[in-house]
Amino acid sequence: MAETEPVDVLKAENEKPRQFGTGYKLIGKDYPTNDLVAKVTGRAKYAEDFRAEGMLFCRLVLSPMPHARVKSIRAEKALAMPGVKAILTPAEVPGHADYINDNGTRIKADKWSELALADEPMYQGEPILAVAAVDELTCAEAIEKIEIEMEPLPFATDPLESLRPGSSNAREEGNVWVRPDSSRGPEKLAVLKWTEEDFAAEKEGRMPMGHAPDEWSYGDVDGGFKNAALVLDETFLTPDVSHQCLEPRTTMAYWQNGKLFLYTGTQSTFQTVAAIARWMHMDEDKIVFISEYTGGGFGSKITGALTLVIPALLSKKLNAPVMMRVSREEEHFIGRARPGIRARTKIGFAKDGRITAVDMFLVSDAGSYGSGGDGGSCGSIASLLYQPPAMRWRNVTMATNTPPRSAQSAPGGMQAIAIMEPILAKAARQLGVDQVALRRANCPEGKAEYGPPNREGRRAYVTSCFLKQALDLGAEQFKWRERVAQQPKRVGSKVRGLGVALSCFHGGSTGFDGLIVITPQGRVQIQSGIGNLGTEALIDVHRAAAEVLDVPWDACDIVWGDTSKHFPYTCASGGSQTVHAMTRAAHAVGLECVQRLKEVAAKTLGGQPDGYEVANLRVFRKGGGPGLSFAEAARQAIKLGGIYDGHDVNPDVNKATKQSVAALAGQGLVASAKDKYPHDGDSYSYLACFAEVETDVETGVYRIVDYLGYADVGTVLHPAALGGQILGRSTLGIGHAIGQKWVIDPQYGVTVAERFYQNKPPTILDVPVNMKWNALNIPDPETPVGARGCGEPPVGGGCASILNALSDALGDNIFQRAPVNADTILTSLEAGRPMQDPLIAHI
Amino acid sequence: MAVIRDVMPAFDLLQPDTAAEAQKLLQQNGEDAWVMAGGMDSFDWLKDRIKKPKVLVDLSGVEELKGIRATGDGVEIGAMTTLTEIANHAAIQRDYSLLAQAVELVASPQIRNQGTLGGNVSQDARCWYYRGGWPCYRAGGNICYADTPVGRNREHAIFGADRCVAVHPSDSAPALIALDAKFVIRTPKGERVVDAEDYFVGPETDITRLNILRPGDLLTAIRIPAAWAGAKFYFEKVRDRNVWDFPLMNVASAMKLSGGTISDMRIAVNAAAPKPMRLKAVEDAVRGKPANAETGEMAGKIAVRGAVPLQFNAYKIPLMRNLVKRAIGSGQEAA
Amino acid sequence: MRFIQWATSPWGQSVPTHIAWGLIWVAAIAGLFFMVVHSLYLIVVKPPKRFAERAAEASAAGIPERVPRHTLAARLFHWIMAASMFTLLFTAFLPKVGIQFNWVLYHWIAGVVLTVSILYHIVHASFFLDFWSIWPDRTDLRDAMNRTMRFFGKEAPPPSKFAKYPLENKLYHGVVMLAGLAVIVTGLFMMKRVQTGVFTRNPYLFSDMTWGLMYVLHGLAGVGFIALALMHVYMGIRPEKLPITKSMIFGWMSRDFYLEEHDTGRWAVKGSGPKAKEGYAARDGD
Repeated sequence: MAETEPVDVLKAENEKPRQFGTGYKLIGKDYPTNDLVAKVTGRAKYAEDFRAEGMLFCRLVLSPMPHARVKSIRAEKALAMPGVKAILTPAEVPGHADYINDNGTRIKADKWSELALADEPMYQGEPILAVAAVDELTCAEAIEKIEIEMEPLPFATDPLESLRPGSSNAREEGNVWVRPDSSRGPEKLAVLKWTEEDFAAEKEGRMPMGHAPDEWSYGDVDGGFKNAALVLDETFLTPDVSHQCLEPRTTMAYWQNGKLFLYTGTQSTFQTVAAIARWMHMDEDKIVFISEYTGGGFGSKITGALTLVIPALLSKKLNAPVMMRVSREEEHFIGRARPGIRARTKIGFAKDGRITAVDMFLVSDAGSYGSGGDGGSCGSIASLLYQPPAMRWRNVTMATNTPPRSAQSAPGGMQAIAIMEPILAKAARQLGVDQVALRRANCPEGKAEYGPPNREGRRAYVTSCFLKQALDLGAEQFKWRERVAQQPKRVGSKVRGLGVALSCFHGGSTGFDGLIVITPQGRVQIQSGIGNLGTEALIDVHRAAAEVLDVPWDACDIVWGDTSKHFPYTCASGGSQTVHAMTRAAHAVGLECVQRLKEVAAKTLGGQPDGYEVANLRVFRKGGGPGLSFAEAARQAIKLGGIYDGHDVNPDVNKATKQSVAALAGQGLVASAKDKYPHDGDSYSYLACFAEVETDVETGVYRIVDYLGYADVGTVLHPAALGGQILGRSTLGIGHAIGQKWVIDPQYGVTVAERFYQNKPPTILDVPVNMKWNALNIPDPETPVGARGCGEPPVGGGCASILNALSDALGDNIFQRAPVNADTILTSLEAGRPMQDPLIAHI
Repeated sequence: MAVIRDVMPAFDLLQPDTAAEAQKLLQQNGEDAWVMAGGMDSFDWLKDRIKKPKVLVDLSGVEELKGIRATGDGVEIGAMTTLTEIANHAAIQRDYSLLAQAVELVASPQIRNQGTLGGNVSQDARCWYYRGGWPCYRAGGNICYADTPVGRNREHAIFGADRCVAVHPSDSAPALIALDAKFVIRTPKGERVVDAEDYFVGPETDITRLNILRPGDLLTAIRIPAAWAGAKFYFEKVRDRNVWDFPLMNVASAMKLSGGTISDMRIAVNAAAPKPMRLKAVEDAVRGKPANAETGEMAGKIAVRGAVPLQFNAYKIPLMRNLVKRAIGSGQEAA
Repeated sequence: MRFIQWATSPWGQSVPTHIAWGLIWVAAIAGLFFMVVHSLYLIVVKPPKRFAERAAEASAAGIPERVPRHTLAARLFHWIMAASMFTLLFTAFLPKVGIQFNWVLYHWIAGVVLTVSILYHIVHASFFLDFWSIWPDRTDLRDAMNRTMRFFGKEAPPPSKFAKYPLENKLYHGVVMLAGLAVIVTGLFMMKRVQTGVFTRNPYLFSDMTWGLMYVLHGLAGVGFIALALMHVYMGIRPEKLPITKSMIFGWMSRDFYLEEHDTGRWAVKGSGPKAKEGYAARDGD
């Protein structure tokens, strides 16, 4: 199954796609997931569906100002109302806490980080107060009786404007995040203003470029441009886009016997406990966290949401359960968003379309909290996906008084692809090179390197990349050549356009644990600490364990959604790492389980463990002979105790897994294991995305006629789920191209488009009925099972293939920003040049 | 006073059974009453707590306001008839398909199932500043936030702005104007019937309302005369999303052709101005002209004369020009 | 009753937006009340003749039959101002009481006319007319005191006759000037907030609060004008004041009226000579 030797370029080309499920009984096969019926029948309970006796409700008061100081709160009248129980003020919220980023890395808290309630709100819509009462109507009426005196402070909502001489800063300490020279420690705020001369380029519709605090480069960038047959220098703005999870950050909490019971949506059940503990300043073992179903996260709920502490604190204060339902408007503000990046990118191309050099300059908007502007990832993804031999990257990460950003499906990757791809498309047209051929010429392959060299002078590289095959097979399936040849392109006012885009993002991490109990009833009970965020990874990854155990799937029970049920050390579901990380852990614990079963059999029936094999829910002597059913083996394990029933534990596993094993001890054969498989390179997944659009040049309206995402995600674990991910996340990306956006009035720094009908996430009717996907199913050589994640990789390709199809239809003088809508197209067609300002934020 | 949204305030819910009773309740409660048809507009206002009526008169139980009836001269559509029913109604599809097309493009299937024709023509403006509860002219204040040097006005008016630059959001309204529909209003002084285009009010006359309904008035029905039955119709709605979206602009026209020549025409656009615009200049200019692209070009240019774009909505000028052009050019196919 | 209408700004702050429109009725009733009280006073109290009998003025002989009072330019100004003022009042307040029409255009145009006419008036009155004639002087104040004392039955010398304008007229002018200045200055700024074709629309010249107060001031002065206009019209049509009204139309008043009401020393007309005025002033200063 697992190949560990490096894959060189030649070998990568030799790897051939294979049918899904080849060589497996479970992996690569479709099946009804264990949560399916509950989801489609409405039986699934989301946080808002839970009730507890005596439950109170709380509602939030949001800051009406983008930056202000709360001077006083007068709530006497509100508190005197019948049914009003308490208010919660910023002073009652525990201080700053660490957080976990998209890759699961813990970031130390800094004084600039966010708290659940703010006394100096940094964006309009930031919660500043909560009120608990017997019902929400009482909460609302109470809130309207509260008088809050606020002192407006200087604010900035447009990052570029905040770089102008004399402009205001988002915070008193500054407007730009800079990394201390000495280390890669937490970033600090500083004041950065460019000069009027720096801004001169603005008049030509190009992004100005002043000083940038972050920079790296490799190769001979100047030489690359000198030797180029074509050099393009383009300005582009990617949109700030809210996550807009259908389930908002609703939370219910109560306390029992000193323990906090908390219900909310999360991407990562196990990892959220640590986050709650940090935010609440309490021990993890005093927290029971319940999250059976989550209505979407997309990076915004990697470990739940900070606001969950509000009902928890109110519940403690009132000694009663408290439900905090979060409304759609509140969700717009606290629900996180992708940072918009404005970019000036210069790319040199050889005659054949091969990139000779890239010079990328970014100004990213990190919003009101944290320095995560996605600029860093944007640079590294550009360098991986298009393999420029020389590249310079400069980045300015701005703080603004806009809602907080966080990772959103392919953070930085989405922006990189949306910035790079239209330039590649323009180059192909100018050089007369086919779009697919140009991408093939620049496509990463094998153990492709990326990013700048590290201190040792070595560049990072990936585990494997077979994107060229995906591009070729995708072009074939999409009938790219035939479509390109199809004439005429224009019929009446309708013009067709074709777009192709490469896409990639992180696809995995390593080092987590698996935990299985074989019960005396003979069931294979798999403990899953993964969040049920809609990807089905929660269940799919455990097919690897069942495969190793050679058991039928219907003999397996997945236990999830409630940390009192004891889970192993599990990755955070962010950065599309889960499928990769947790199939490894599942594989490891499957093997561990097999080994323990053999040992139990040997101890019970005699002989050596190696003389036994496991299949069909039995452990039996090789070549036939006596054996034990799983039920018998479990009972024997309990009798044997020690390592077999969890009274002793595999020393390799994480502390948390050990605690869970101890808690489950005696319930059957308890097996735990850590993923210790070798792993050379960084795991990424890739797609080639194809789109056809039909635009009406008289109305500016366009329709996506066809779409295909062809994936290189290693082994396909669960085709239906993978298809859902490829098309779902492509749609997320398409949303960036076709209309999703923020609208902020800069005079007041206040959002004016907080409803769906105003900020326009894509609807199901905005994508083709028969969107298509496919996958190579070439296993990643650096991981058992060979599967990598695919949540995020399609996003950039979804967006960019549409943008490229539009420029194919309408030419290069239409847009300099996304989304592209009727207004963009019509005004530009009228004027013969891009008319929508590429630099003004949030229009 | 702190602000909170998304919690419906308490009010007295009145559910009359008859139109007479409904009108009487509205009259009795005057400014304190809120009349609710399908609720698709009302619930937004109420849940945001921006409007807090003392009483809500819910028309959903008034059966006589529902349904489509043939009259001696065309059809009468009860104000409480759902958009879905209208879109699917055989006679409407046959004789007044313009209206069927228009209502079929409203919002989403769910909203059309609940939304009514009366509600669709009587709905309030969707300017995001106004809807956000900002104290603008339309809300009784003294400022338009959309028309400022930095205002976000992509979806706003190119015509008819008078302090307020919000547009009228209805899809059915231009179709009804093109069909020369009559709006039947029950007022404290008795029944009043007005032409479709006279039902709507611009900000220059009344900046806080989009139509002529005063407290105590009730729109009961919309009559479509047979005069334009089976004419050559054209409806097009341009929106950002293919479903659940208000128009960036729409156009509705009814054309009578004799040979290839336009003998008579009515045409209206919406979302271009604070009220649906009947384009009389276009109607006059194309009468007697061939229904072809050339006439369409000419008409399109006439249609946009005097348009005043804001910072972010200049696209509406070519859009309107082209929509009018297409509406007239559509006659060519028919001919 | 609240005098000011408040709104919640986009920043959640309470800001004034304009006056409570109920003040329209307050002002109208105040104006009508004045008329009624004043009429009743004249009918019921029948005040005695007001002025001190003075010896026949030496210069009276030189006074023409038609005493010139208002130049054509001054009269034109007055009526243009009046027309624009009425336009402003009607366009401002009729829509507020339910008579709806396209009012803003006429309102701001009338406002511009008013502004220009006032500017003209300031220049004209300052440099081409007797600027001080409309301002109360010490005699006015002394006479006012005397009249008040006599009204309450106290001993006081009878007041002297008027100069060109009676004190009430001067005070009225003062109030109108203040209110007019308020509506004009605020009105000019408010034109930045509507489409006029004159300015680029920019409502962000001032803070929400400043704007709000400006609207309130505009409104207060505006409703003030309802009362002021009613009082002015009332006075203009009172029989004993008709000669003054006529003089605003025809430019002159009769010699008799002039001698009856006005002090030839304080208001020297053609024929009485500037010397007398100076002489009176000197005496007045004793």
